[in-house]
Amino acid sequence: MRLRRLAALAVLALLLLAAGAAAWRSVRPQPETPATVAASLLCPSCQGETVAQSQSPMAAAMRDTIAEQLAAGRTGAQVRQWFVERYGPAVLAEPPPGGLGVVLWVVPGCVAAAALAFAIRARRRRAAPAARVTARTHPGEPRDGGRPAAAHGAGRVTARAHPGELREERFTARARPGGGGRRASRAWDAAAVGVVGLVAAVALASPSHRPQETPARPVADRAATLVTLARSLEDKGRYAEAAQIYRDALRERPDDRTTLRLAFTLLRSQRPAEAEKAVRRVLGNAPDDPNAVLLLGLAQRGQGSPAATATLRRFLTLAPDAPAAAEVRRMLRAD
Amino acid sequence: MTGRFGTAVLGTGLVAAVASTLLWLRVALLGVPARPARVATGATLAAAGAAVVALEVALIGHDFGVRYVAENGARDVPLYFTVTSLWAALDGSLLLWLVILAGCALLLALRRDERAGLLRPWAMAVIGAVTVFFFALTFFAANPFTTVDPAPADGPGPNPLLRDHAAMGLHPPVLYAGYIGLVVPFGYALAALLAGRADRVSVAVLRRWTLVAWSLLTAGIVLGAWWSYAVLGWGGYWAWDPVENASLLPWLTATALLHTLLARRVAPGATGLSAWSVALAGSTFLLVLLGTFLTRSGAVASVHAFTASPLGPMLLGFVLLAAAAVLGLAVWRSGAFRSAAPGGPLLARDSALLGNAVLMVVLTAVVLTGTLFPLLAQAVRGSRAAVGPGYFNRAALPVALVVLLLMALAPFLRPDRAPDARALRLPAAAGLGTAAVVGLLSRPGLTALAAFALAASVLAGLIQSTVAKAAAAKPRAAAAKAAVAEAAAGKAAVATAAVTTAAVATAAAGNAGVANDAVATAGAEATGAWRRGARRLLASAGLLAHAGFAILAVGAAASSVYTVASERQVTVGQEVHAGGVTVRLLGVERGARGGGMVARLRLAVAGGGTMEPSLRYYPARDMTVSVPAIRSGPARDVYATVLGAAEDGTGATVRLAVNPLVGLVWLGGATAAAGGLLAAAGRVVARRRGVRPARVDRRPAAVGSA
Repeated sequence: MRLRRLAALAVLALLLLAAGAAAWRSVRPQPETPATVAASLLCPSCQGETVAQSQSPMAAAMRDTIAEQLAAGRTGAQVRQWFVERYGPAVLAEPPPGGLGVVLWVVPGCVAAAALAFAIRARRRRAAPAARVTARTHPGEPRDGGRPAAAHGAGRVTARAHPGELREERFTARARPGGGGRRASRAWDAAAVGVVGLVAAVALASPSHRPQETPARPVADRAATLVTLARSLEDKGRYAEAAQIYRDALRERPDDRTTLRLAFTLLRSQRPAEAEKAVRRVLGNAPDDPNAVLLLGLAQRGQGSPAATATLRRFLTLAPDAPAAAEVRRMLRAD
Repeated sequence: MTGRFGTAVLGTGLVAAVASTLLWLRVALLGVPARPARVATGATLAAAGAAVVALEVALIGHDFGVRYVAENGARDVPLYFTVTSLWAALDGSLLLWLVILAGCALLLALRRDERAGLLRPWAMAVIGAVTVFFFALTFFAANPFTTVDPAPADGPGPNPLLRDHAAMGLHPPVLYAGYIGLVVPFGYALAALLAGRADRVSVAVLRRWTLVAWSLLTAGIVLGAWWSYAVLGWGGYWAWDPVENASLLPWLTATALLHTLLARRVAPGATGLSAWSVALAGSTFLLVLLGTFLTRSGAVASVHAFTASPLGPMLLGFVLLAAAAVLGLAVWRSGAFRSAAPGGPLLARDSALLGNAVLMVVLTAVVLTGTLFPLLAQAVRGSRAAVGPGYFNRAALPVALVVLLLMALAPFLRPDRAPDARALRLPAAAGLGTAAVVGLLSRPGLTALAAFALAASVLAGLIQSTVAKAAAAKPRAAAAKAAVAEAAAGKAAVATAAVTTAAVATAAAGNAGVANDAVATAGAEATGAWRRGARRLLASAGLLAHAGFAILAVGAAASSVYTVASERQVTVGQEVHAGGVTVRLLGVERGARGGGMVARLRLAVAGGGTMEPSLRYYPARDMTVSVPAIRSGPARDVYATVLGAAEDGTGATVRLAVNPLVGLVWLGGATAAAGGLLAAAGRVVARRRGVRPARVDRRPAAVGSA
């Protein structure tokens, strides 16, 4: 017997020791991974999704950047700061410590304290009378729900403990003798007015009776954010994704420079026809923009159009000293 | 035509709802018969049902002259998703809301009086007021039937995220049913406040509706998580997004409510409800309304908010009105409902139940504060601030772990005493052992480690207590059966004797009475055993829900800490590796699909099989959806998504993730919901069987007076 007890104690000690060691191993701080950093940043082009969650090209590019920077030895905090500098504090998925963010901890703390106080106070208040009342109204209640006879008895006691309820017909005003009836019908009138008032309030407040206002969207500077991002994708040679993001940016805010960047990325991702379409939009506004003419020429050339040579020559006359001019001349000579 | 019919039906429904509210109020105040009120409630449901049918007819018939169809229908959408697009946007989902609300009302209205409790008329009036508001909202502000002239030839179709997954047909209706079912406990709580007391039957009705609504809400939330996992493509299922939180908030308070309703002892006084139950039942539906406001007004940014509408101010007004009504009533009746706090030791049953309620309230506060914080920041600082998963995980998970700890104690809780320390040996050992093994083999972090350990002890405790109960139950049931047989034999003998002689007849009759009584008593004994069995089933069903949450905790912890993912840009023939799984890109097929573009990847999984994630572009909505390919296994899911595909089909950016044990989340959620439903069924059975003993109990008095 004693041996078994010793063995049990030994097992317990062993378990505690092993669990303690396991917990200690787990407590040691773990380095931030790209996933944890991504979860702490919001994707600026999405609806409240974190970078870890979002499937948008922007989030993918941000994940790449995070992984690169962490691999280069920067800390998670530094990576976050890098993004805050570029996209503003709204890119953080958590409010920064201090300031208004304290509310997040104070409010639940207060609620916890209040709920606990409520529970404890009730416990204290009830402690003494509860024992007495229980003894009186539930004499036959089984201590542990065990013996059948006792349980049977408990059922009967319960039935007897609520005799008043079975006799009382309704919780109505009529049950009360005297002037209850009139009060009740007055209450009913008031309630009827209230219900009709509710319907009227909804009818009056409904938007068909007011000028339609479109909910303001938090666009802020989304277009600029998107352009910055697309540039960084371009730098990495991910032209197809950059083109997609330029398109998003253009939808936010049409802009010739961005359209030209879009055309450029489309060219680089072997889509000259789409690039030409984009360039022609810019040329509609500014027919003599040398960059637009250059891109048009390149797009035509990419499609094998005979007009390409003439367009490129036009570019050379418009901007003979542009950095790209030398390359264009070489190209024309080769043709 | 359909449009005009729909509008007319909505108008009729509004009138019927007003009538039903006022008629039920008459029943409550003046005690008049309930029949006309019932008819009005039925008419409300009929109108809501007709509106739903009308909109479905318009959707299926591609009647683009109806505004909702013009905005959410399309000719190329498969029939199934055309049907489900009824709830793909706000205006249609309000119709679903109405039909479920009116259905709940009618279910409650049709109960026989003695089964519905004395509070029913009041509760019906409250539910009626809610119905009136939503009918008015639909009719005046969000009528899906308004006509579009000229009618377009085709529509954009529902949001692309909502036409890819079969769960679309199930998740919203189930979630809504759970959400709206909570209106009945709300109605009864307000009724109790209005009447200043509650009777036993009313409390039973409140409990049963809470149980069923809670189960449906659980199922709805888990289905939503599954949908999120299978459609949104990031590999997770819960992101503490405002819409997810909105469904979690009433779930938390409903869980607390269920537990306070289980507390046996109620403070002395006329009421059968504790202050906690009243407060929780009231706030649960308020949170439903608040969640509806948050998610349907565009107030908070969410990937799940498929609607941003101008209904916000009206919903907010109603939330505030309802909150003011509840608060006012609560203050007015502050003395009537006492707390159910018991005086026993700290770890006795009722204290633990109360502790659970406190913890759930704290969790609710955490989730609510985190969800509303962006609005507060907007108001105070004028700039958007976000509260991401990090906060919720840090603040809510420790509390959730304490809840798991209470769950581990649950099977051993006793009414007046602390749990038997000896009974806790096995669960404690299981927990410590799990922590040791898991913690020494890997480093999941303290929270996950605690979750594993506590879940193990919950499951060990449940198994231990179930085995013990099964062992104890056998002899008792046998004894009760034998008693029935004996008594029946005795009755037959006495009856035969009664026929033989007239002289003995009178005495025999008396004897027969006694024998009858014996049979009845034995029957009661048997039914008593049955009831105890049913009650035990019920208790076990509740504990089955605990088992479900333990399983869910394991799945959630494992899939959050052991998931491995990698993201690579690959050309055809190259490989991506993650967590011991290798896939090779076989090719990229591009093509048109229903007016949109599709890029479908073919990935060969090392060890056999292919996966085909795709990227779909929907021009009508200008949206790109990445549809993941998932290979589910018992131990892990392999999860592949396309992030981008080269135009020429030579390469793509692929994300490959291996999510271990994520299936346990669905299994655990399903188990919990099933536990809740079983518990509700158990109550019904116990009640049906319980009728006879009540009659038997009165018989001795009748015999005595004869």
